[in-house]
Amino acid sequence: MTHMPHSLPHRGVEAWKWSDVNRAVADDMRGLDAAAPVQIFVPEGVTVTRTDVQTSANDTTLYKLASDYAGQVWDIVVPDGFTSENPIQIEGLTHGHAQISLRLGKGAKVQLVEHYDGQAGAFVNSHLNIKLAETAVLDRVIVQTDPEDCVRIATTHVTAWATSELIQHALAFGGKLSRLETRMAGMGQGVKATINAAYLLDGKRHCDMTSYIDLACPDGHIRQNVKGVTEDKARGVFQGKFHVRRPAQHTDARMRHDCIMLSETSEIRSKPELEIYADDVVCEHGNTIGALDESALFYMRQRGIPLSQARAMLTEAFLGSVFDTLEDEVMRESLLEKLRGWLARS
Amino acid sequence: MLKIENLHVAVDDGQKPILTGLSLEVPKGEVHAIMGPNGAGKSTLSYVLTGREGYDVTDGTVKLDGEDLLEMEPEERAAAGVFLSFQYPLEIPGVPTMTFLKTALNAQRKARGEEEMKAPEFLKTARALAKDLKMKPEMLKRPLNVGFSGGEKKRMEIFQMMMLEPNFIVMDETDSGLDVDALRIVADGVNKLRSPDRGMLIITHYQRLLDYIVPDRVHVLAKGGIAASGDADFAKKLESEGYDAYAA
Repeated sequence: MTHMPHSLPHRGVEAWKWSDVNRAVADDMRGLDAAAPVQIFVPEGVTVTRTDVQTSANDTTLYKLASDYAGQVWDIVVPDGFTSENPIQIEGLTHGHAQISLRLGKGAKVQLVEHYDGQAGAFVNSHLNIKLAETAVLDRVIVQTDPEDCVRIATTHVTAWATSELIQHALAFGGKLSRLETRMAGMGQGVKATINAAYLLDGKRHCDMTSYIDLACPDGHIRQNVKGVTEDKARGVFQGKFHVRRPAQHTDARMRHDCIMLSETSEIRSKPELEIYADDVVCEHGNTIGALDESALFYMRQRGIPLSQARAMLTEAFLGSVFDTLEDEVMRESLLEKLRGWLARS
Repeated sequence: MLKIENLHVAVDDGQKPILTGLSLEVPKGEVHAIMGPNGAGKSTLSYVLTGREGYDVTDGTVKLDGEDLLEMEPEERAAAGVFLSFQYPLEIPGVPTMTFLKTALNAQRKARGEEEMKAPEFLKTARALAKDLKMKPEMLKRPLNVGFSGGEKKRMEIFQMMMLEPNFIVMDETDSGLDVDALRIVADGVNKLRSPDRGMLIITHYQRLLDYIVPDRVHVLAKGGIAASGDADFAKKLESEGYDAYAA
């Protein structure tokens, strides 16, 4: 891929060594030089306007591309103290570039639902910039159901002020290459975050879950639980980093990535990292890659459950736990339904 | 009902023979006990009957009511009525006990071409049975066997057995991990299932369980086959004299 004004990330760059966007993108992909047809639905009281793009010298190449092609920024503002039963919904990230800003005022509490359903042969590059004012709570749900020839990079920057909370659950099925990247800066005391995800990959799908949590203030509380299953020749990538700066004492941050390989030809690349400068913290990471428990499968079959069903039940039980922290029961059931749909496909 | 003839089984890719010509017949309505020294192949027999991978049958036949068990997948054997009460029941995290059992029951029914059991009937039956077995109701809501004690797991095996109502029951060291009270509850459950249409094979190292579930026949499994057989009193003799005479 050579005809872009800014070079795409490639495997020569450490952060992209397992997700070579430059290689995955072909010249004829839809959306390379276009704005995404973004649609945003908001509850009454929340405003959406268009504002000019702000650029700076250290913008990433993907951000620069979005600045060039996405047009104005979609600017969503949730007022102080706002709460609603209805979510903010972002649709239309089907192809092209987008820049979206979401600001939650003090004490606001809202759900954000993003559906990433790309077109065949599309390239999607979206940047979401989230600001959580003090005590704001964002319940974010991402469902990614792209076709197998779609390339998607969805980058989110979260700035979290004191005692604000991000609760994020993602369900991803990969694509030709998909990367869901969450970068969070904890800028106030007592920031909380739950960053959970499940990915299910078959064929030659590739899914990259990357996150970078940078804590600058005390009493942060982070829980990250990412689980995946891979089949055929699929490839799962997990890169997680907690960066705990010197003032961030009493941080309690735990990261887990657990994956089951359902085929010997699939691939998992994992890099959990902790970088800690504060001396009074609890931080840990764990990473496992395994297969379904053969003994458990035999036990289930001995009770009469056919092999395919036993596998699906064990896999659902394994993956489904990442959504236990999702309060919205209807949403949780809808995610589990999608997960079951994947497990039940022939 | 169950007819095993000249069964040869090896493990480690056929390198290590365990059973070398075992023949055994359990007629309908009878309870047979298999006793024997550690390492004689008692658990191997239970796994071969139920189709676990890793056990190579190199010769012989196993038939249940004339049907070749060895040709069937484990779930097909279950649907045909074969039930194994595991020596070490597995924990299944994330799958609630009731969901597991309802799925199993209805999968078996479906395989036999029967109508599935509806949720209300299933719940009613399960609750009544749990009460009989003196099981805490919350056990049924928890993921199967997760965090259960050894005794609770064994009781859960009996609970599943009574819910599934199998034709042929294999019990592998069911008495291990049970105190006397639990043993009595389990034995009562098993005795309730004794019927003219059902066969049972009780695998045990100790005679204790056979005080509560009195067998029609007792066999000693040693040196890869049935080394001796007798009636219920034979088990008591084995308990006092040990297996040395057969293991040599």
